[in-house]
Amino acid sequence: MHPLYGTTAVAGVGLRQYKRGASPLPEQAVLVEAILAACADAGFDPADVDGFVSYGDDKNEPVQLMPALGTRELKWSSVVWGGGGGGVAGAFGLAAAAILSGQASAVIVFRALVEGSSGRLSAAVMAHHLNDHMLAAGIVAPAQVCAIRANRMYEHHGVPASVAEELVRASYYHGSRNPEAVAFGQAFDLEEMRSSRWIAEPFRLFDCSRENDGAAAFLMVSADRARDLKRPTVYLLGCANGAEKGWGDLLENDDEALYPTAGFRSIARRLYADTGLSPADIDVVQLYENFSAQGVASLIDHGFCTYENVAEVVRFDNLVAPTGKLPVNTGGGNFAQGFIHGIGTAYEAVKQLRGESANPVPNAKICLLAGGPGAPTVSSAIFGSEVP
Amino acid sequence: MMHANDGADAPYWNGLAEGRLLLPRCRCGDWLWPAANHCAACGGEEIAWVDRPMRATIFSWTRTWHRFGLTESLDLPFVSIVATIDDCGIRLLGRLDDPDQLDPVIGEAIAGRSGATRVEGRDIPTIIWSRG
Repeated sequence: MHPLYGTTAVAGVGLRQYKRGASPLPEQAVLVEAILAACADAGFDPADVDGFVSYGDDKNEPVQLMPALGTRELKWSSVVWGGGGGGVAGAFGLAAAAILSGQASAVIVFRALVEGSSGRLSAAVMAHHLNDHMLAAGIVAPAQVCAIRANRMYEHHGVPASVAEELVRASYYHGSRNPEAVAFGQAFDLEEMRSSRWIAEPFRLFDCSRENDGAAAFLMVSADRARDLKRPTVYLLGCANGAEKGWGDLLENDDEALYPTAGFRSIARRLYADTGLSPADIDVVQLYENFSAQGVASLIDHGFCTYENVAEVVRFDNLVAPTGKLPVNTGGGNFAQGFIHGIGTAYEAVKQLRGESANPVPNAKICLLAGGPGAPTVSSAIFGSEVP
Repeated sequence: MMHANDGADAPYWNGLAEGRLLLPRCRCGDWLWPAANHCAACGGEEIAWVDRPMRATIFSWTRTWHRFGLTESLDLPFVSIVATIDDCGIRLLGRLDDPDQLDPVIGEAIAGRSGATRVEGRDIPTIIWSRG
């Protein structure tokens, strides 16, 4: 069995989330609150946290958190490379690597984002990737980068653009029922979505995730140690991170077959091979959707459907808990739960497997976390409430 | 942020500024894009910058309606495309004339002319494409 399989676990979670620009505290202070909440959730002394992992160019260097947390000794601080959300799931693999190799024993995975402290996320992501080829073409935002790929998927590969609407509706449906979601209590107006303004074709406003202030933190420890802590154990069963030849930062010169994908073909291959699991074993999916089409492409990459049958699978009725066969984004996802660079999708993965989701999937034991799609480096992970 | 003229693709930028499309080809025949000083296929380092006609087909496109920062010099909406250059397969980002807002079609033949996009006081060379 692969060394990652069921050997580490998430023992506690903490989330603070606010409307963009509305955080009552600066970014680092919000992050400290989320970390303390994760430790309290687990019943774990925050001073004993000895490792930290983040992704997406997070600006909070762990050593700066030590005074507020009372950290006794920092043994591991690292990030997954990449400016986008491609690293969100890979961060859990990095934390597990630290624990399994004995380099740290209690690792916080985190992401914090407060506009007043670090500016707009979309601008930061693009600053990481921008070059003169893009600037000269007027391509300056993630929405445009993803829009070009989406048009190719729709027009050349025959994916009906209507599936995007099904995915967005499912996210908003779940979000409207989740008290922790930005869309809580809000009725979703399909006509408002369809008539919302164009951003970059084929994306209208509702095809785009919208940023929030906040932070989330996850306490990871060995599986043995997690079982002694107070919350239900959520095991990491597998994690894959990276890019295959023909995908990456290639100035649009990706392999032609990979171009319209979300970049996960090799990730999904490895993840399923390492865990011995298949799409049929996945009870629920937490899907990072920066943009609607990339969410659909990610579901295709992860083997839930194909270009040919995507419309049969990506249907609102099929995507919503508790009755859908492929429940997706049961917290509301980036669209409707909130968007702190995708970390909320990991939060809902844990809540769902602990039986604490606002939209519970009956008997959910295995959850796929599909990380930021379309990024040059991408990652995904599988979590389980037990080790099958 | 990477700027023109300080990387392996400097001849591309210098060519465009003179109205020419120059693209890099290894002695083994492989076209290299993103530009590189070393060919991963054969290990060779003899890279020639070859003149190509500005003829291509549309690989994909988007029409931007939102006023994103750094696009202030472009009238909204504007169309950005990925163009597959004829007879070499390299794909380039560029802009497409869009006078009638007719949706571009993937595979459609296009012809280019050299132009520039003004971004924060800099004129960055680019190819402006038109149909036909």
